[in-house]
Parts: sequence; structure tokens; C-alpha cells
Amino acid sequence: MKVAVAGKGGSGKTTISATLSRVLARRGHRVTAIDGDPNPNLGVALGMSQEELGELVWVPKEIAEIKEEGESRSLVLTQPAEEVADEYGLAGPDGVNLMVMTGVDHAGAG
Amino acid sequence: MRSLLGELATGGTNEEVTITDMEASIEHMSRATIRHVEAMLILTEPYYRSLETVGRIAPLVRELGIEHIWAVANKVRSPRDEEILRSYCEDRGIEIGGIVPFDEAIQEADREGRALIDYEPEAEAVGAIERIADLLEREVAVKNNGSSDGGNGEGDQS
Repeated sequence: MKVAVAGKGGSGKTTISATLSRVLARRGHRVTAIDGDPNPNLGVALGMSQEELGELVWVPKEIAEIKEEGESRSLVLTQPAEEVADEYGLAGPDGVNLMVMTGVDHAGAG
Repeated sequence: MRSLLGELATGGTNEEVTITDMEASIEHMSRATIRHVEAMLILTEPYYRSLETVGRIAPLVRELGIEHIWAVANKVRSPRDEEILRSYCEDRGIEIGGIVPFDEAIQEADREGRALIDYEPEAEAVGAIERIADLLEREVAVKNNGSSDGGNGEGDQS
């Protein structure tokens, strides 16, 4: 299942996204937590250390391109999802896999 | 080719979950990114200005055809807070997916740079988030499992 968490800054998006990720992971789901915030701090909220997070490579914008089909536009990956997860994912507590995708949704825009 | 989020949640089975913490500003919420999301949680605090953000986001999200849209209130301190939230959402036909109480543990965990669930596993806020997880499993995951896009059969009740 694909869940997005939106809302005003300061409303607690990050804490709730992180806790939800941990809870679902403990229930046996394979969870990927994606940080799309320009000031990413989901990793800390998930319980990763600064040291661990220092190793994390942000997913580059070039990973996605916008594909237009008539009126519909969607972001598609330019390399296989497994490779993206291997290369840019960082496994954290309860096996939650973190990826920082800040800026990726602007790929190809403008 | 599948969408970005679709690709990252390969298979779309019950076991695969992606949780995306989105940018705060709705103006930057890219249609291309969220089109394939199945459930959108819109966080709010129980006061008018914050609720107005939900009131703005919900119709946009609905327009994109996202199936499940829930307002989730955070930092709820009183029955009065809850009442304001409920009446606002009811007037606009927005479903409430969870009510997370104001909880000191959130600030304290944050201050120490730790995960809430590690800092205070029994925190009230954690309990409320567990109920949101219940909702997602019940309303979103179960349905996925029964659909044709590749459920692995685990958890099937049939």
C-alpha cells in the first residue's frame, strides 16, 4: 500500500510518518519510508543516528522523469526500482528502509 | 511503465508499504508524484488556520482520484479541540482517520533526537498512531490483497 502524509509544516507530519512506518514494520510489512521534505529529518524521527544518516545518499533528481500520456503525467524511474532501493535506501530500526527523495518530484519540470 | 511510487512499492502486495512524508507546501505537491498514492493522510492541528489547510488540500487530492483521504488531527488537547475538528470535517465531508493527543513525549523525543516509539513506546500518541495503522491495514491493505495487481496471497481470508 502506498500512503502519503501531507499537511502544514509543524503539524507533526514527520513524527507521525516515522512512527507509522515503525509500527507497520513491526507488524511484518516491508516498509519504505520516503522523505520528500526539503529539510529532511525523517531519518532521525525513525531512530537513525547522525552517523548512520551521514552515509545516506539522497536519491538524485535524474532518477525520475516525467512521462506524459495525453492528459496524464506520471513520474517514472530511469533505473529499476530494486537498484534504486539498493543504492539509495538505508535500513533502519525494525528494518524500515529510508530514502530521501527531496526534489525528485520536480524532476523534468520547467 | 508504472509510476514512481508504484515502482518503489514493487508488487503492490500487502507486505509492501511506502510511507511518504511530503513537502509541507501544497502548492508544490506534484500531481505526477501523488497520483498513484492509495491513501493520503492530511495532518492538522485542531485550530482553524490549520484546519483550513485540510480544507484546501482535501478537494485537490480528491480531484486526483486518490481513494482514501483522511484528516489526522495532532496535538489534540481537549474534548473541545476534538469537537472543532469533527464539526469542521463533517461540514466538508472529510473523514477523520485518527486523533493523536498532545503528548509531551513527542517534543522530548525530538529534543533528544530519538524516535518516539523508542523513547516512550507506551506513549498515548504511539497508541493513537497504532490505531491509524489498524485503519490502513483494514481499509487499504486488505483491499489491495484482493485486487489483481499481484497479491502474494498472504493474509488472504478466503
